[in-house]
Amino acid sequence: MSENATITLELFRYHPETDSEPRYQSYEVPYDEDWVVLDAINWIKDHVDGTVTHRWSCRMGVCGSCGMMVNGEPKLTCAAFLKDYYPRPVRVDPLVNFPVERDLVVSMDGFMDKLEAVKPYIIRDDVNDTSQGEYRQTPAELARYKQFSMCINCMLCYAACPVVGHEEEFLGPAALALGHRYNKDSRDQGQSERLEVMLSSEAMWGCTFVGECTVVCPKHVDPAGAIQQAKAVGAQEFFKRFVMPKGAGS
Amino acid sequence: MSGQYHRPHRWAWWTERPGYMRFMIRELTSVFMAGYLVVFVMTLARLGAGEAAFGEWIAAMGSPGWMAAHVVALAAAVWHAVTFFGAVPQAMPVFLGEKRLSGPVSQIVMGYGPWLTVSAVIVWWVLR
Amino acid sequence: MSAGGGGGAGGGAQKGGGSARPSGEAFWWALFSAGGVMAALFVPAFVIVTGFLLPAGDEMVAAERAAAFAQAAGWWPVKVALLGVITLSLFHCMHRIRHLLMDVGMRRYAGALKLPCYGGALALSGWAAWVLWGI
Repeated sequence: MSENATITLELFRYHPETDSEPRYQSYEVPYDEDWVVLDAINWIKDHVDGTVTHRWSCRMGVCGSCGMMVNGEPKLTCAAFLKDYYPRPVRVDPLVNFPVERDLVVSMDGFMDKLEAVKPYIIRDDVNDTSQGEYRQTPAELARYKQFSMCINCMLCYAACPVVGHEEEFLGPAALALGHRYNKDSRDQGQSERLEVMLSSEAMWGCTFVGECTVVCPKHVDPAGAIQQAKAVGAQEFFKRFVMPKGAGS
Repeated sequence: MSGQYHRPHRWAWWTERPGYMRFMIRELTSVFMAGYLVVFVMTLARLGAGEAAFGEWIAAMGSPGWMAAHVVALAAAVWHAVTFFGAVPQAMPVFLGEKRLSGPVSQIVMGYGPWLTVSAVIVWWVLR
Repeated sequence: MSAGGGGGAGGGAQKGGGSARPSGEAFWWALFSAGGVMAALFVPAFVIVTGFLLPAGDEMVAAERAAAFAQAAGWWPVKVALLGVITLSLFHCMHRIRHLLMDVGMRRYAGALKLPCYGGALALSGWAAWVLWGI
């Protein structure tokens, strides 16, 4: 390839103060096979058009802020190499299933509400007294939830999930996987609190195991698996209430 | 809140990704299986109606149309089983201490193995 | 850090106003799940038997196979098992069909779809029970 090779990036543009409808804007970007899509967007912002708005931080697949649709596929743009698309143009959209705030930036409000709803932290009946030492856990106990704790909240799974797009009540893959992650944590005592939220109408049962959340997850969390496991827990709880009508829930 | 852009609903979402199409095919197996189950109960009903009625019904099942329908039903039922047992490692992880039972092993032990055994016994019973 | 109830008061962002009881969806999902196992284990073999093995072959063979099928279907333990397999499989299928319809745009009829889907599965199961009783 020539020294001056370029690649075309088509960016979704939407500025609420001036645009009533979004549009696509094309940019010619120097092609470098070591570059990722995020490098190209940063180059555009630095050298061509400072009004392009996007989120990013770590550039190494840890922070989870640079998720966008790359040619229709939810991707961390820091991990999507230009060489996998060259010489064809690359179209970048903000993550689908989210409202667009500006250009490539989506609103995370709904996602944060759903995340908060599953109480993704350790809940204890006793008050943690550090003088008695930490809550201990065996490697086997850790293995039960470790995979689900790798989530970086990049929201790619929400963009890949058709149910998220159609059902407001659905908590979505990441939040449900995280809820399940704490339910599976041997140090946690908050399962009944979380299940109250997770088991209500379509919050979890809306999932039809399409499974694409797991396919797009950059951290191999397998939210689809977590949700099916959580459904089994939910079904057990349902039948337990027939056997023990009072239940143990707080 | 003002000025956020909401992209239009994608009603044809299931055409957008190969994974969505595979999902649709998996879910549609249930339509053909439900149809077959009705035919299966009809078969049992003919059996209850006596030897002659049952014989007539079975003979009718040999027609090309019914054969084709059963080919579709078999494909649907087999695909249901393959995808259902294929999901066993995701939906029912088995831990041996820290180690998680590998995907193929749990699929065979808790899925494909029992499936083939049950199928073989049923087929053997009729063929024996 | 928080005692059992404390987190709930603070976490005001609960979606869907979680009720204290798991929703009925748990019950339908349990039937769906059990039915999925039953359908996967038995239905392919049933299709092979009633769709291919029984109609195939000359008269002698056909008669022998029909007799084997009739003998099995006449045993009470088999009848009970068949009813279980048929019922659960039907609930599996109808639950899937209901959710498929919801996923392709009928979500607002989620409640209304329950009657034809689960009612249909129940009605067909009742018919199967009546048929098996008569064998």
